[in-house]
Amino acid sequence: MKALLIALLFPCLLFAEDAPSFRRDVMPVFFRAGCNAGSCHGSARGKDGFMLSLFGYDAKGDYYRITQEMVGRRVNLAVPEQSLILLKATGKVTHTGGELFAKDTVYYKTMLRWIEAGAPDDGQAVPMPVEITLSPDRMVFDGAKGMQPLRVTARYSDGSKRDVTELALFSTNNPSAAKISKDGVVSAEGRGDTFVFARFSRFTTGAEVIVLPAEKGYLWSNPPEHNPLDGIVYDRLQKLRLLPSEISDDETFLRRATIDLTGTLPSVGEYRAFMADTSADKRTALVDRLLASEGFTDLWTDLWAEMLRLKGGGYAPSATDTKAAEAYYDWIRQQMAMNRPLNEFVADQVTGTGSNLTNGPANLYTMLVHDPRFIPKNFASDFSQLFTGVRIQCAECHNHPFDRWTQDDYYGWVSFFTGIQRKLGVEPREFYIYNNPSAPPAKHVVDERPMPATVLGGEAPVSAGGDPRKALAVWLTSPENGLFTRNLANRIWAHFMGRGLVEPLDDMRVSNPPTNKALLDALAERLATNGFNLRALAREICTSRVYQLSAKPNATNAGDDRQFSRSQLRRMRADVLLDSIVKATDGERGFSGFPKGVSAVRFYPRSSGDTGRPFVGDQFLETFGRAPRATVCACDTKMEPTLSQTLHFLAGDTIPSQVSAGRVVAKALEAQGPPQALIEELYIRALSRKPEPRELAELLDLIGGGTRDRKVYEDIFCGLLGSTEFLFNH
Amino acid sequence: MPHPDKAGCSGFQQLGLRRRDALRIGFCGALGLGLSDLLQHEARAMIEPGSVKEGRAKSVIHLHLPGGMAQQESWDPKPEASSEYRGAFGVVKTNTGEIVSENFARLAKVADKLTILRSVTGKIPDHGQATYHLFTGYTPTTVIDYPQMGSVVSHLLGERKGLPPYVAVPSSNGFAGGTGFLSSKHGAFQLNADPGAGGEFKVRDFSVPAGVTMEQFERRKSARAIVEKHLRALDADTDRLNTMDEFHRSAYALLTSDDARRAFSLEGESEAMRDLYGRGYKLKQNAPAAVGERLLLARRMVEAGVRFVTVNYGSWDSHVGIKETSKEQMPALDHAITGLITDLDQRGLLESTLVMVTTEFGRTPKINKDNGRDHWARVYSMLLAGGGITRGQIYGASDATAAEPARDEVKLEDYLATVYHQLGIDSNERLAAFGGTRPIDIVKGGRVVKGVLA
Repeated sequence: MKALLIALLFPCLLFAEDAPSFRRDVMPVFFRAGCNAGSCHGSARGKDGFMLSLFGYDAKGDYYRITQEMVGRRVNLAVPEQSLILLKATGKVTHTGGELFAKDTVYYKTMLRWIEAGAPDDGQAVPMPVEITLSPDRMVFDGAKGMQPLRVTARYSDGSKRDVTELALFSTNNPSAAKISKDGVVSAEGRGDTFVFARFSRFTTGAEVIVLPAEKGYLWSNPPEHNPLDGIVYDRLQKLRLLPSEISDDETFLRRATIDLTGTLPSVGEYRAFMADTSADKRTALVDRLLASEGFTDLWTDLWAEMLRLKGGGYAPSATDTKAAEAYYDWIRQQMAMNRPLNEFVADQVTGTGSNLTNGPANLYTMLVHDPRFIPKNFASDFSQLFTGVRIQCAECHNHPFDRWTQDDYYGWVSFFTGIQRKLGVEPREFYIYNNPSAPPAKHVVDERPMPATVLGGEAPVSAGGDPRKALAVWLTSPENGLFTRNLANRIWAHFMGRGLVEPLDDMRVSNPPTNKALLDALAERLATNGFNLRALAREICTSRVYQLSAKPNATNAGDDRQFSRSQLRRMRADVLLDSIVKATDGERGFSGFPKGVSAVRFYPRSSGDTGRPFVGDQFLETFGRAPRATVCACDTKMEPTLSQTLHFLAGDTIPSQVSAGRVVAKALEAQGPPQALIEELYIRALSRKPEPRELAELLDLIGGGTRDRKVYEDIFCGLLGSTEFLFNH
Repeated sequence: MPHPDKAGCSGFQQLGLRRRDALRIGFCGALGLGLSDLLQHEARAMIEPGSVKEGRAKSVIHLHLPGGMAQQESWDPKPEASSEYRGAFGVVKTNTGEIVSENFARLAKVADKLTILRSVTGKIPDHGQATYHLFTGYTPTTVIDYPQMGSVVSHLLGERKGLPPYVAVPSSNGFAGGTGFLSSKHGAFQLNADPGAGGEFKVRDFSVPAGVTMEQFERRKSARAIVEKHLRALDADTDRLNTMDEFHRSAYALLTSDDARRAFSLEGESEAMRDLYGRGYKLKQNAPAAVGERLLLARRMVEAGVRFVTVNYGSWDSHVGIKETSKEQMPALDHAITGLITDLDQRGLLESTLVMVTTEFGRTPKINKDNGRDHWARVYSMLLAGGGITRGQIYGASDATAAEPARDEVKLEDYLATVYHQLGIDSNERLAAFGGTRPIDIVKGGRVVKGVLA
């Protein structure tokens, strides 16, 4: 009683050792012991008749269930040691969860003292954790041995700090590099890098662990730096004792940059001009030329159209009519052509209002949905995943267990979209998109509180009245918003390097840290300071030495596929692959619903019906994994090779029909050149390189010397186009 | 090499756990580890392809019903419950004297050949995560991508009679994961063509194209082989190049085999056989249900040597109007499963072919305000037949409203472990992942459900 009295008189003394608080001291014990985990009492219906909120999102409800639901049973104020929660936790009575802790532990003592004090509820003044930090926050083990204890410190809303190591839960992302015990002791296991994490309250924080190879003799090769991005990658490589591969040759670079920047292959003319150029800065000049090309605009329009799930249909109630898709596509392409700052490009869509048929950017509110109903929760989740990389939907039912997001964040976020209306226009396929300012905000699932529109991590709602999307657009696209800049930077880097710094691209969270944080931060910073200039960032990436490295590994980096110490073999995207076949063969390929001559990257699916279903609209593109635009997930685009793809290359009609339609071989034979020259041209067309002497000899041998048979050369062309070297960017 | 005599202890020591902690984890599962895992931590070696001896089941036909089919409207009806729990449908008696929903009147007549499991429990009532869990045995993480069961079977048992070990009809489920840490050569061969779509069914790109002579075909192959050496010389990503070579080897074999072509067609099936599986069923917007043709094709493929066929059917996410969606989709399903079981049994193939019918979760006990049911992973029903599974059994039970298991809970991991077991694979064995540096359990903590083994 005395403790309770003191606590009431002097709230600040709640931190005193002898007066446990329910929220500050007791709830963390449930968390640490696993009582409120999803597999135990934290499950939606509790377990064995007793429910706790999952990971403690509802302290008030938990307090009620422990003290009031079965008075005198779960906590026994008369005989505290006989409280059921203590008997269960120590395994003194039958408990499905077994014995969780012993009587001599701090966990038991905290709970007992709290019950002895009368199991008091907390007043309003309980300081809550606002942050946790790890010490050390970075560890390097030289060779696979060594241990290091972690200390977890929580900072509270009143500024106080406390060691909560005993109350935290620990995990590792890669146990083959480092493990962490339940007491927070890190042990090195084998070469590699990982993060170990501590969770306490609603916070998760990671510490980086690097385990270096035991072998001696690592010597940095001192490669040149073309720009600061190289320095940041080199830093990381040195820390991991990796060496970058050599720089690639001109032929490889030409092919790689042309595919990545324009979505197709270099022509024979472009190849010859580039190879004949002897100027020292010819690679930079090439990048500049490609950045200025139509191909760059088309490719990035395609990438955005895919992310934004652009598809046209004929089912009027979905508001995704082909005419709406056209308006959206044309608008996106215009923005890419004029190099519109990406923040403005996104902001225009966020505040998109008006007709879906005439105002392109308003179609964010039709294409991300593809449904006659606009459901604010679904939209809010997709919006977040796309523009910030955060999967906020986990916080719908409980605070995000592996990130900072709370249910408050989630419902405040949903409220940006609760006023969105789509009103039928003058014709059935036309809809007016607008915000209804008097629409009520979303309600919190636990206590039904209205949750006015609040940005992620925001302290207070955005100002009421009018269209909250305006404030959302300002916050989202601000150069200071790391969620936005890092997400964009990661997606752009991934396009050029074949792998994001965070993977999956759209799962950014504390417990999924980037493989090179300094690099992601630098890329995000550059984007923010260069005015969200896509071409400027693409230029910096493509002129870096890191981008230009060869795929050939050295003694240190054969196993590296995440630190960019060498180029990775990357299968071409479905549409880029198809355009490359057409380009190499001078062929032509039509697409359903589009005029002749439209390239695959300019094609988007059009259907006469509903657009909600997965729908690619072209057999070749479907086989090679183009996104069916059914979800906002980056995983919708498939890049793995499959048996069906190989069968299509061998027995399908795409390659042979393009080869014969383009008449490349026929024309060369008409020009009367020698077989060697013809084979060389086919090589340059398909592989952007000249044949090796060995290849030339073997091929001449295969075709029996100086034949003039068109079919024979066309077979060789088919063979080249069917090679792994053609299929992959390398 | 691990030391078997010290195995148990080193497991404990390595994890730095005292016995009490181990018990705690064992029971509560906070870290997802069972006590037996800890004890066996170092004892089990990694399992290599080729070391597995086939079990009673030589092949699997896996029919998956994406979206979450309601247990109440199918194999676990609750006629005694009040109407907001019971739903719109009555029941029929099976030939074993039990009841199933009236939506499965045909199946009721072959109930003596199969086993219904009414006490399956999953983990997360989210389509993406639950589907991944079902196909791989693991809930998704960002660190390790786990392989699908069909890919594991392809990896461990390999191909038979030159046919792809793992086939998806008509295509793979987008949520189901892929080959995970196994090579992508173990991915499902997706037909991307539907035998029930109407018109003549032909898998695309499945024969040497008309107008191309074998001489030309061979010349293209040789030209490709000449150019492949160039990329090989880089020594980069050898696994990927090997995978591409493997695809080419399989593709050449398929393209030049008449048996393969026949297996991937419905060529020569009689009218009576087509009717046995059911045909002519239509879904909304007049789309053909097609499940009968898909299962008939699956039967032809396993007969020819395919090990694992996944068939997808329907869209079962009935948040709205479950009565209507059930009436739309269930008649074709009832007909097709019954046809498949009957056909396999008549051919004597039911002994060696295991049939699984799965869905990623069940649906809420109570009908919601839209006359639908929402996601429910706490208990639901699935089906097993053939390949050494009991005949004529209903295993496990849910409670009065199909809300919780009432007895004989079958965790999803147990269900998968049982299928693996019948194929001759001990799912407690571990696969070598990441170049052999990391052993990973095929299914973590799965226990074979002995009660369904014949």
